[in-house]
Amino acid sequence: MTSGWHIKPGDKVFRPRRIRRYHLRRVLGVAAVFSAGYGNVGSSIYYALGIVSLAAMGATPLALGIAGILFVFTALTYAEGTAMFPEAGGSASFARHGFNDFVSFLAGWALMLSYVVTISISAFTIPPYLGYFWAPLKESPIVGTSAAIVIILFLMTMNIIGIRETSVINIVAAIMDIATQVSLVIIGFILLFNPSVLFQHIIGYWPTAGNLVMGIALASIAYTGIETTSQMAEETRKPEKNVPRALGLMIVAVLTIFAGISIVSLLAVSPEQLASEWARDPVAGIAANIPVAIIASIFKPLIGILAGTILLIATNAGLIGISRLAFSLGQYNLMPSVLSRVHPKFKTPYFSIIIFTVIAIAILIPGFFASNVFGGIGALYAFGSLLAFMFSHAAIISLRVRKPELPRPFKLGGNIRIKGRELPITALLGLLSTFIVWIIISIMQPFSSWVGFIWVAAGLVIYCLYRQKRRMPLLSVSKSVAK
Amino acid sequence: MFRRKGFGEDKKSGEMEFGKILVPVFGSEIDEEAIRLACRLAKKNKSKIYVVSVITVKRALPLDAEIEPEIQKAEDILDRMERVAEEQDYEVETVLLQAREVGPSLIDEAMERGVDLILMGVKYKRRFGQFSLGSTVLYVLKNAPCRVILYQQYAS
Repeated sequence: MTSGWHIKPGDKVFRPRRIRRYHLRRVLGVAAVFSAGYGNVGSSIYYALGIVSLAAMGATPLALGIAGILFVFTALTYAEGTAMFPEAGGSASFARHGFNDFVSFLAGWALMLSYVVTISISAFTIPPYLGYFWAPLKESPIVGTSAAIVIILFLMTMNIIGIRETSVINIVAAIMDIATQVSLVIIGFILLFNPSVLFQHIIGYWPTAGNLVMGIALASIAYTGIETTSQMAEETRKPEKNVPRALGLMIVAVLTIFAGISIVSLLAVSPEQLASEWARDPVAGIAANIPVAIIASIFKPLIGILAGTILLIATNAGLIGISRLAFSLGQYNLMPSVLSRVHPKFKTPYFSIIIFTVIAIAILIPGFFASNVFGGIGALYAFGSLLAFMFSHAAIISLRVRKPELPRPFKLGGNIRIKGRELPITALLGLLSTFIVWIIISIMQPFSSWVGFIWVAAGLVIYCLYRQKRRMPLLSVSKSVAK
Repeated sequence: MFRRKGFGEDKKSGEMEFGKILVPVFGSEIDEEAIRLACRLAKKNKSKIYVVSVITVKRALPLDAEIEPEIQKAEDILDRMERVAEEQDYEVETVLLQAREVGPSLIDEAMERGVDLILMGVKYKRRFGQFSLGSTVLYVLKNAPCRVILYQQYAS
């Protein structure tokens, strides 16, 4: 004791209850947030290139470039939103602050679709990359789809048990990923660069206007996964500074590497081959067509192992992301509490992990019967992600109008002033462009849009029934149940 | 010969002084002995003792997820440590953290509070037939910004 007073036997000491019962220990820095984000966004190129080429053919680099502009708008919106609200939930969190519970639920539900499809599409792409080691993984739809389902079930088990995973794994994986992708681009340019071949592949396979528009719409999936940085914000030291920095780094890295890979892919293989033979493992297609045998012999297995590992991490990130999101929505009375149920022994949200694993597997079932489901899954991914991005842009604009006084540690520049309110041009353009792309996907991909709209309708029914049962209004703004 | 003065070292006398001591607790019986030792060390300089319990949150949950049984368990441990300190006629400040990993969160807490000493109770344990300190102790020893005392219970 530093004072003169001492506790004597028999004294009763009143200790005030800890007002904030615990405090969060945030330990991640820019490198860890960037690595987690790049691990997710950067993994998309391993399947997005094939999906985009199905529609955009020779204009694949152009489609990826135009979609890249949308990505910049979205990343900037997330930078402002995450710096304001460094908490789990991403677009659902922005929508809760910017609008109300109902819009927050819609944003969260759309994000859940995006996470579920991340799990499906990432797992579905692992077997073709490993096909270098055992051909049936790439060639047989039954073997490939079965392997994808086994991978998802394995990760489900690991996440229910609650494996320890440090941020060091993400950093190492991101470094390896960037190093391999950059070296593939450099070697590809040195060994394959031939302007006449590039010109022939672009002009000779130039798509129709409709296909180009569809290609741009599908290219948006190459840039999804940005939500990961938002999820990591709650674990980041000084998130108001470090998350925008990580997002800035990610914009530069993703745009540069994706541009390089898409051009090298057209130098290595024709768009026709890219959209057929290498649709599910396009980066392996580049490695397989490197003309120097010794370099190709190194890159073929390396790409197989690396892509498999990165996609496995992305599948796991999807599973972690959706269970965190379900728990977070449950805390704000937006989802039935059963999804927030924690296993008494393993301390993990086992119920939501199992439910969403089953849905992710169900999406893969058509893969047993047809090999052309890949484009459909990709379009469904775009449907969910773009919907979530739309809500993010709208929420940031709404916050500027309704709560202009809120502190904004990272405030977007380039604003237009309407009725005394500053509205960020990038968020307005982002909202408009994601809406247009979302409409295109909904019209041109009827199967995916049907599945997407059924998902939204099912969510609305769950939300209305749950709120009615809890006797809560649909449009109110809830505080966390836990706080 | 010049000798670098470290954390907690009295510049005039060269004696060790610990103004702030951090004691991580995990719920084992060694925690109580560590608290008693910390109180004895602290009494000389009327040092501040922080008793820290960390709840590790699995990655499938948000970091701010409130898992009631875990919080209750940690609160009970901290309450017990307070009573042990009271028996030693000393007062401690208890801290409850939620983090993904124990080691980095302890180091971060030590840096933020500017502690001069981390005093850890180490339970004698064997892993694969070999004596093992465990990953948290090794992490703290490797990354601590101050002196560290490990206090191990009598192994027999």
